[in-house]
Amino acid sequence: MTEVLSAPLVVEFPFTRSLGPVQSAFLTGLRERTVLGVRTADGKVLVPPVEYDPATAEELRDLVEVAATGTVTTWAWNHEPRRGQPLDTPFAWVLVRLDGADTALLHALDAPGPDAVHTGMRVRVRWAAERTGAITDIACFETYEGEGDVMERQAQSHSGEFAGEAVTGIVAPARLDYTYSPGRTQSQYIHALSGRRSVGERCPSCRKVYVPPRGACPTCGVATSEQVEVGPRGTVTTFCIVNIKAKNLDIEVPYVYAHIALDGADLALHARIAGIPYDQVRMGLRVEPVWSESGRFPDHYRPTGEPDADYDTYKELV
Amino acid sequence: MSNAPRHSGKEPVAVVGIGQTKHVAARRDVSIAGLVREAAQRALLDAELTWADIDAVVIGKAPDFFEGVMMPELYLADALGAVGKPMLRVHTAGSVGGSTALVAANLVAGRVHGTVLTLAFEKQSESNAMWGLSLPVPFQQPLLAGAGGFFAPHVRAYMRRTGAPDSVGSLVAYKDRRNALKNPFAHLHEHDITLEKVQAAPMLWDPIRYSETCPSSDGACAMVLTDRAGAARSPRPPAWMHGGAMRSEPTMFAGKDFVSPQAGKDCAADVYRQAGISDPRREIDAVEMYVPFSWYEPMWLENLGFAAEGEGWKLTESGVTELDGDLPVNMSGGVLSTNPIGASGMIRFAEAALQVRGQAGEHQVAGARRALGHAYGGGSQFFSMWLVGAQPPTT
Repeated sequence: MTEVLSAPLVVEFPFTRSLGPVQSAFLTGLRERTVLGVRTADGKVLVPPVEYDPATAEELRDLVEVAATGTVTTWAWNHEPRRGQPLDTPFAWVLVRLDGADTALLHALDAPGPDAVHTGMRVRVRWAAERTGAITDIACFETYEGEGDVMERQAQSHSGEFAGEAVTGIVAPARLDYTYSPGRTQSQYIHALSGRRSVGERCPSCRKVYVPPRGACPTCGVATSEQVEVGPRGTVTTFCIVNIKAKNLDIEVPYVYAHIALDGADLALHARIAGIPYDQVRMGLRVEPVWSESGRFPDHYRPTGEPDADYDTYKELV
Repeated sequence: MSNAPRHSGKEPVAVVGIGQTKHVAARRDVSIAGLVREAAQRALLDAELTWADIDAVVIGKAPDFFEGVMMPELYLADALGAVGKPMLRVHTAGSVGGSTALVAANLVAGRVHGTVLTLAFEKQSESNAMWGLSLPVPFQQPLLAGAGGFFAPHVRAYMRRTGAPDSVGSLVAYKDRRNALKNPFAHLHEHDITLEKVQAAPMLWDPIRYSETCPSSDGACAMVLTDRAGAARSPRPPAWMHGGAMRSEPTMFAGKDFVSPQAGKDCAADVYRQAGISDPRREIDAVEMYVPFSWYEPMWLENLGFAAEGEGWKLTESGVTELDGDLPVNMSGGVLSTNPIGASGMIRFAEAALQVRGQAGEHQVAGARRALGHAYGGGSQFFSMWLVGAQPPTT
């Protein structure tokens, strides 16, 4: 039984986000140690603010300032903070209804343990030392012992304008950590490649040979298990000349990206052609793999020197 | 309408509101919520309806990795007035705008809802589709640079199969970019476009030139679909759905015809059967088809049955698909002029509807009675199409 391969796969990208007028004011406000909400037609104050009334769908633009103090409406203890979370020691996730607001904001509460947290407790914003116009400008919340003297119960109207440049966009990095496994069939295929052999699978129903094999035939819907060695030679069925350099690819342009039907295979695989000027590559060109020393797949394919294949012999594989 | 016989027990579906944003490279002034809101508001305004008149919302967008929004139905519910209403999301890669409209239409046809808002969007400026299409998979050799690299070999296969002259692709791009000049919502407005400029552009993925590829756009498109009662209240002429279908097939399988996929043929045949069309070339007045790379116009002309196999390029070359031709294709400028990927399919559907409503403005095809909207996606594996008419369906 072949060992089934497995490897980490990290998918990560810094998406940008245009904020629009309401979120722009909210995040610019945080930079200036001011929490803004938005007032709905029936007088409710939503914090964090939204652009459209969740109840009526009307556009909301009536910004108001609320206090930096508030009340915990519910909470959950986080025993083990993970990367990117607000605090690196255990903390409480809290919903905080700031004084003057009618809805609650999700954030972190710095507390020594779950016994120190309860619904109804009074808290206040702990501002980050360096603020950039992001939700992390609120470092976290902390216990607040004071009375109502510092906060206005009634939210105050606010223009949404602050000294300095308004924050109009943010970068929102997204990251997903996977453990990728190609499965039994692909693992066998990859192991065979490291022995410089291409081994596909034949469908017991339609008799087509799949390379790379998939463990099942996508048209017949039946499991495949019969191993069939194909190639090593094959025919270029079609191709393009790539003139645009991709950031994540370490290949010099121009290069030829080709579909190659290995001898004995019933569909083409995709590979790079080299060992011939790019503008001399053609449909029907006969090629063979050039194996990389360390890789698990052919580095590229090169011409064999055989006469070109007749179009009729591969046109069904284009 | 009273003399119209009922069609297979389904409720006739009418398009009574259409809204688009002005498609541009980057809409930095609005959030995604603000962008979709703009298109939805315009569709409601066109239909002279309010949020309260909408019974359900069906939304579509590009694959999640493209712009990093995983749950648009959650994030955009308030912007689209969906509170207290059903809201669902459709996902079929590049064809999603078409599929989304069809899911919405089926809710009306099945009398689940009377009036449905459907919307598709993408802010390509906040994302990176090329990255989203080129995620590094362990144990696999990284080879591919974007969608163009995937589709260019299939274009070459088409050229070889049909013997089409090299110039056909540039004719399509030249036509679509000129059509876009007549569409105020189109992204690209290349006022100084010439055929020579199109042909002088560098090859990105030979045989695809830079000038023969679609742009990256920010934009949204929305439609209000309704039943007969809703259509009767419509302040402007509705477009009526005469047929709609979706088909899919695997990305790659032995025997797949990338040049003219079977799923596309089957999808078109289903739509024509529903609409009672036996000769699409003669009976359809205008087509909005999904052409992200110029050569896909002749390829789809064959796949959709407007030309015999190997003959599609002749329609393009002889000017049949020009705005004033016998079978105008992509009067709006098409995907080649506007490509917010998630919305591109719905724009095709909406533009087809605008034509039969007589509301396409400068890019109106005079007297258009029946128009086809077409979308495809993934590795030529998802197809969605609808045929709309100026009159309610009678067959």
